[in-house]
Parts: sequence; structure tokens; C-alpha cells
Amino acid sequence: MSGPVLISGMALAGVGTAVGLKKLDYEAVPQAGLVSAVFFVASLIHVPLGPASVHLILNGLVGLILGWVAFPVILVALVLQTLFFQFGGITTLGVNTVIMAVPALLGYLLFSPMLRKRAFVALTAAFACGCFSVFLGSLLLALALVFTEKNFLKASALLVAAHGPVMIVEGVITALCIGFLRKVRPSMLRTFGKREFS
Amino acid sequence: MGPNGSGKTTLFHLIMGLVKPCSGRVEIFGRFLQKERDFRPVRQRIGLLFQEADDQLFCPTVLEDVAFGPLNKGKSPREARDLTREILGRLGLAGFENRITHQLSGGEKRMVSLAAVLAMEPEILLLDEPTSGLDDRTREKFKEVLLDLDLTYMLISHERDFLAQTTRTLYAIERGKIVRVHSP
Amino acid sequence: MFQEPFARGTSVIHELDPRSKVVVGVSYAFFVALSTRFLTLTGALIISFVLIGLARLNPGAVAKRAMVVNGLILFFWVVLPITFEGEALFDIGPFPVTRPGILLSARITLKSNAIFFTFMALVESMSAVTLGHTLNRLRVPEKVVHLFLMTYRYVFVVEEEFSRLLRAAKIRGFRPKTTFHTYKTYAYLLGMLLVRASVRAERVQQAMACRGFRGKFYCLADFSWSRRDCLWCALMTGLLIVLVMLEWTTRV
Repeated sequence: MSGPVLISGMALAGVGTAVGLKKLDYEAVPQAGLVSAVFFVASLIHVPLGPASVHLILNGLVGLILGWVAFPVILVALVLQTLFFQFGGITTLGVNTVIMAVPALLGYLLFSPMLRKRAFVALTAAFACGCFSVFLGSLLLALALVFTEKNFLKASALLVAAHGPVMIVEGVITALCIGFLRKVRPSMLRTFGKREFS
Repeated sequence: MGPNGSGKTTLFHLIMGLVKPCSGRVEIFGRFLQKERDFRPVRQRIGLLFQEADDQLFCPTVLEDVAFGPLNKGKSPREARDLTREILGRLGLAGFENRITHQLSGGEKRMVSLAAVLAMEPEILLLDEPTSGLDDRTREKFKEVLLDLDLTYMLISHERDFLAQTTRTLYAIERGKIVRVHSP
Repeated sequence: MFQEPFARGTSVIHELDPRSKVVVGVSYAFFVALSTRFLTLTGALIISFVLIGLARLNPGAVAKRAMVVNGLILFFWVVLPITFEGEALFDIGPFPVTRPGILLSARITLKSNAIFFTFMALVESMSAVTLGHTLNRLRVPEKVVHLFLMTYRYVFVVEEEFSRLLRAAKIRGFRPKTTFHTYKTYAYLLGMLLVRASVRAERVQQAMACRGFRGKFYCLADFSWSRRDCLWCALMTGLLIVLVMLEWTTRV
């Protein structure tokens, strides 16, 4: 990736993380940390898709649960991934964080109010959020590649298209998971919002 | 003692102010306690050993975890470190300071959590099923340590033998009431 | 499942102050990422090999990780020379293999490997816990460091829980396929993990409250700076300057 892309990635990630940290009380660090741990473990799960299997991305789900806190949480999870598995590497940390966290955040801003409504509305919103987050993520990745090298345009377009099936799967899983949380522990969906944290 | 779900853990949590009563009041050390703030002095004097060690060992290294309490009490890092070493030594855990908490065995985690609670230098100790999941050898060690301690403690346990060896009075919770049990 | 195979060791690299390793590692990584001249990149790659050698890392583990990184690079070698526009060197069937494409692939190979090996030698030769403490000392905000440490602490617990839940499902006949039922199962497993995590987090908060937590985290780590660390920093800075000059003066 080129210099400007890396640097703007880091800058954006820095801003996002700073805001996320402000919204994170000290008492809430265990909650965020545990969700981060689940997010990390979950990203290693692969689900079957046709003849192959794909890794879950789940940034939509994380965004819905954590809101702005998704930024630092995704950053931390990515650092751990780099440490354990060498995915990505440190120079692209900023860019990768932005690619995953900005869609998570937008998903949260757009869709989380609907989670409090009737089941049908909430689950559809969750589905949309899952799809949208993956789509936007792949778009951002494509943009980053194109800004690095104009010649990547064709390859990037392919990349976004290839994410189509994954979008649907993520949407489904996000919706079902949110449904589960609504039934079993609805407080989770309110902990990091603008509501109180007790 | 008491059947599962009878409220033994809840009793401990009420004492520590982690849970608020639906009716009635909490009185400890002669004072009525209502708000979160009121319980802070209680937590300095009463230590609670949780049922699951993993919930209590949240710092990455043993040293940091045991030192957590003293540091919060206002001790300097040096004092906290010395206190930690002393307590670990007393419990037979010398040399454990730099061990990584999640890599410890179940028995070791339990002993380290005990160290962490003792580091607060409490007057009273509440132990929630401290021997569950321990092998015989660790249980014996735990018992020895417990009997060696110079403070009052309350135990929740399902193991009658252990209770008989470590406690003088037995209570049970039956149908929401605390009853004294006369052991045979 | 998650291992830190390089975290323990007795080499020269392992005994350096972690702060210097992180600062040097990150500076080198960024510099290499921004370089384009072949001479610079090759130099950086050689340096990274030397570091790996000095760190005496297990060759098998290194090779395994190297294969993962280079697998992706192989993909680039296949795609880029063909899709890149520019002067064609020769043809493979109907596809023109372009010079810019090949050059770019070569650059990417050198770059990625140099960064990867440097990182492995310098940052992976410490445990995640040490890394957390180091970052704290390097003025990274406390909340993030403790978020990191707490995530690390419980990743193993969560992984174990997941294995147990998956095993329980499989014992009852669950077979992953491309069906709605499979996705529902995974979604519920995920939900269960999240709920358990949330419940556990609550208990951790209670444990923290019981031990007097007042909103401040403490880091008790001992770092000592020795003459060896000074030498190391001087050496690496010198090398970096050499590389920078190579970058500015050569043409290719």
C-alpha cells in the first residue's frame, strides 16, 4: 500500500479509536475486552459456502453491540491477529482498522435504533447491517488498493464482487445472532449505546 | 450449605454490595449500607473468593493480579510488590510472580486467587465453594492454608468433610431462611 | 490453538529491552513500506534475515509462517504481471506479461518479506503481555493497553468454550453444510459465546470492585536499559540511515 494511504489510514484509525476510548468507561473495559476476545475467536471460524468455506468477518455484529467502542476493539483484535497469525502486518494496521471499523460504526449509527422495535424490523435491520458492513468494508479495501495504484481498478472491482455471497451469509448470521441476543440477554445491546451503563 | 440455587452465593454478594436487596436492609459492622459508596469500606475489610477463579484472575500476570488490591488501597508499587511476594511465599507459590495467569492449572489459579484476596489484608474471608474442581492434593493444601490463617471466614461448600474439618458452626439455607445445623 | 512460539528464547535479541525492539521494528517496517528502490529493499531484506538468525527462532515455525505470507504474494505474481498495463515483455498465451507488472510483484515480494521477518524477529520475540507493558511505557493510552491485555487474557477461555460448544453440537449430529440450519447453528453458538462473555465480564467487574478498583489500572513491569541496548539502537539507526540514503540516491 502506498504512503498516503497508510498514513491516512493510521490517522483515521487514530481518531476513531480516540473517540471510541472516550466513550469507554474504565468499568466497561472488561465487557469490551470480552467482546473483543469473542470477536477475535469468531473471526477464525469458517462456515461452509458452496464448495469452499469462508471466514466470518462480523464487523456488523460488533458495531451493533459496541457502537463507537468497536473502533478500539477492532484495533486490538487486529493487533492480536498480527501477533498470532501474521495477517496483515503492522504497517497496514491503521488501514485495516478503518476498513473494518468504519462500516461497523456506520452500521451502528444507521441500524441500531431499529433493534429496539418489533422482531421483524429488528432482524431485518440486523441482516441489512451485516450485509452492508461487509459490502462497505470490501469497498473501502478496493478504494485503498486503487489509491495505491490506479491499475488495481479491475482487480478491485473483482474483489468487491467476490464478496457478494459472503455479504448474504454475514447478513443471515448477524440477524440470527441479534435475534438470539434479544431473547437471551437484551441488555447487551444497550450497554455501549448512549444509554446509561450501570 | 444448601441446595443449588438456594441463594448462598447471593448472600455473599449482598454482603459485598454486589447485589441490592429487594426488601429489608443490610447492616455490616454496625452500619446500614445502601449506596455503592457505603460498601467501599466493607470491601477493604471483607474479602470474597469467587466460585470461578477465571473471573477473579483478570490480570495477565500473577504479580499484577495479586498486587491489584494493594495498589488500589493506595500502596506504592514497591510495597505492593513486596506484599505480593510475601503472600505468594506463604501460600507455597514462591516464584509464581511472572507466570501468565491463563496458563496456570485449575488448582494453581484457585491458590493465586486466594493470594489476591488475602493481599487486601481482610479481617473476614468469604469463600464460595473453594474446593470445587480441586484434586485431593490441592484440596489438602488449601485446607492447611485456611486453618493457618488468622482471620474469620465463612465457607460455602457441598463437601461435608471439608466443612467439618475447617469450620466450627454449620448453617444451611432452607427455603430462604438461614438455619443452624447441628452436625452429628 | 494460539501459540507464541517465539516469545521465549535466550538469544541476543530476546534480551534486548522490548521498548527499543518495538520502536526499531515499527520504524523499519514503515520505512520499508514506503521504499521503492530495489537496492533499499534488498538491503532491508538482508537485515531482516540477520535479525532472524540472531534471534535463533525455530526454523520450522518460521518457515510455516513464511509460507502463509508468501502464499498471498504468489497470488500477486500470478495476477499482477498479466493485468497490469505497460510494456509487455513476452506473452503467455493471449496474456501479455508486462514489465511494470513483474517489477511490482518483485517489489511486493521483497517488501513484504522484509517487514514480516523484521517483525517476527523483533516483536514476536516477546510475549503479548510484555508487548502490552512496553506499549504502556511508550505512552500508548492506558485504556487501550488494558483493553488489549484483557482481550488477550480471555481469548483462550473463549476459544475453549467455543470448542466445547462446537463439540457438543457435533456429538448431536451437527454437520456443517451450506444450509440455513448450519448458519443458524453458528449464529446461536456465536450468540452463546457473546452472552457467556458478557456474563463473565460482569463477574470480572464485580471482582474488580471487590478489590477496590477505582478507575485506574496499574502496570508493574520492570524494564532495564543497558549498554547493549544503546549499542543496538545506535547500530540499527545507522543501518536505517544507510537505507534511507540508498533510497534517495539510486534510481531503480
